[in-house]
Amino acid sequence: MIRIKGATLTYKDGTTALKDINLNIGAGELVYITGPSGSGKTSLLKLLMGVEYPSEGEVLVLGQKIAKEEKRRIRRLRRNIGPVFQDFRVIKGRTALENVMMGVRFLGFSPKKMKSESLNALEKVGLKHKYSSLVENLSWGECQRVAIARAIIRKPALILADEPTGNLDLDNAVSILELLSSLRDDKTSVLITTHATHLIDNQKDAVFIRINGGRITMEQGGRA
Amino acid sequence: MKSVLFNMGYFLKEAYKTIRLNLLSNIFSFIGTVLILFIFALVITGWNVSNRLVLMLKEEAEISAYYEENLDEIDKDNLIGLIEEIDGVLEVNLVSQAEAYNRMENVLGNEAGILELFEENPFEEYIEIRIHLDETERVIDRIENIEGIEYVRDNREILNRIEGIVKTLNMAGYIVTAAVGITTIIIISHMIRQGIYENRFQINTLQLLGASNSFIGFPFLIAGLLMILCGGIIASVLTVIAINIGFGQLSGTIPFIPLPPKNELVKHVVVIIMTASIILGSGGSIFGLSSIKEDAER
Repeated sequence: MIRIKGATLTYKDGTTALKDINLNIGAGELVYITGPSGSGKTSLLKLLMGVEYPSEGEVLVLGQKIAKEEKRRIRRLRRNIGPVFQDFRVIKGRTALENVMMGVRFLGFSPKKMKSESLNALEKVGLKHKYSSLVENLSWGECQRVAIARAIIRKPALILADEPTGNLDLDNAVSILELLSSLRDDKTSVLITTHATHLIDNQKDAVFIRINGGRITMEQGGRA
Repeated sequence: MKSVLFNMGYFLKEAYKTIRLNLLSNIFSFIGTVLILFIFALVITGWNVSNRLVLMLKEEAEISAYYEENLDEIDKDNLIGLIEEIDGVLEVNLVSQAEAYNRMENVLGNEAGILELFEENPFEEYIEIRIHLDETERVIDRIENIEGIEYVRDNREILNRIEGIVKTLNMAGYIVTAAVGITTIIIISHMIRQGIYENRFQINTLQLLGASNSFIGFPFLIAGLLMILCGGIIASVLTVIAINIGFGQLSGTIPFIPLPPKNELVKHVVVIIMTASIILGSGGSIFGLSSIKEDAER
């Protein structure tokens, strides 16, 4: 599902965010990527989303090579990825339902199917009753649930969550992590970056990857 | 295509939101577009009328040849025959003294009484020759060299002046057309760029979700087209009003100007304005859409 071979990411200003990363993640895995702020967690997710391209090495996501010349294909690849962001990236002035529908608008769903699938996704994240609420009237925890519903409506093969609990209180953070980890199944892998290791200590059956200074310093729970 | 059809309501709603986002600025852009298109419509109208005038003058281009007094009827017939054979001559008629008098009476209208001051008919018999305007120089030269012709009178100076005016009008028309094109494209593209800038967060999010730039840009394209089409419609209405007023005034005060049929002119101008609106709107929108950056969040 994800194969990274000797990948290095150096930004235009010369900052090296990732150094010689090697990683293999198979289908149906739950992966936590931990590390302090500035360690390279978000940069790794940017690579996987095709927002950044490796300066060296090779990155393959769902069989798609991440490289500048593959821009168009990468845009298509993203349709199989469910992204969840720390700042939620929900669109203000739109309802929860409209935000979720935004995840599939360009996939050729009929309006009826789009609405019913969006309501199903909202139901999965426990927000169906607030489908008509404008997102600015929702709490941050609820906004993150809307973002997760927008990610899962596409039935993605890969969910990439970048610090999804970063802006949430403890209760909401725990419940969002539970929700995200529950989305993993045979076909869907879930990758979550977090610096809040105390929230994932009791997670079983997951792969833990620690990044520091742009390098993978530890990998547990899965393949070494 | 399917996603475009299924999302038409969404696109229209987003286009409406884009227009409303910078309402005041967009209102001024809209007024500017209407005025520019209206000026363009007036130039086209002026063009149409002046071209018709020139065409008519070209068709009516004629010269008068005066012959020596001692020629008899056979000589005159021979002269007419010789003139008819010249390339560029369309029609040759002999105008008698009496006919020349009548024509002047018609030209003078209410002032024709002045002719009664003459004891005798002051006009000469002459040969009226309709010619191709483009052949004027050569035809006159040939006629002047025919034996028995005393002199040739032409209205070259007037025709040349009119042609000069039309050329200036045409040049002004081209400049105005270019100005209209450039200004409209800049106004529309600026409006769209502004909309894109204001919506950059949403655009970036859609890019991260995998939407294509054409999908993302469609509402902006609709917004640009809606603005300029509405502008085109209002400019057309203003032009129709202006043409009605203009026709009323011209036909009353300067009746000899050959105006084209009003309905034909209105139809012609409206079709051009609306076509130009669609082309310029699309051009401006596409130009504006180029500001959607690839993964601008990078």
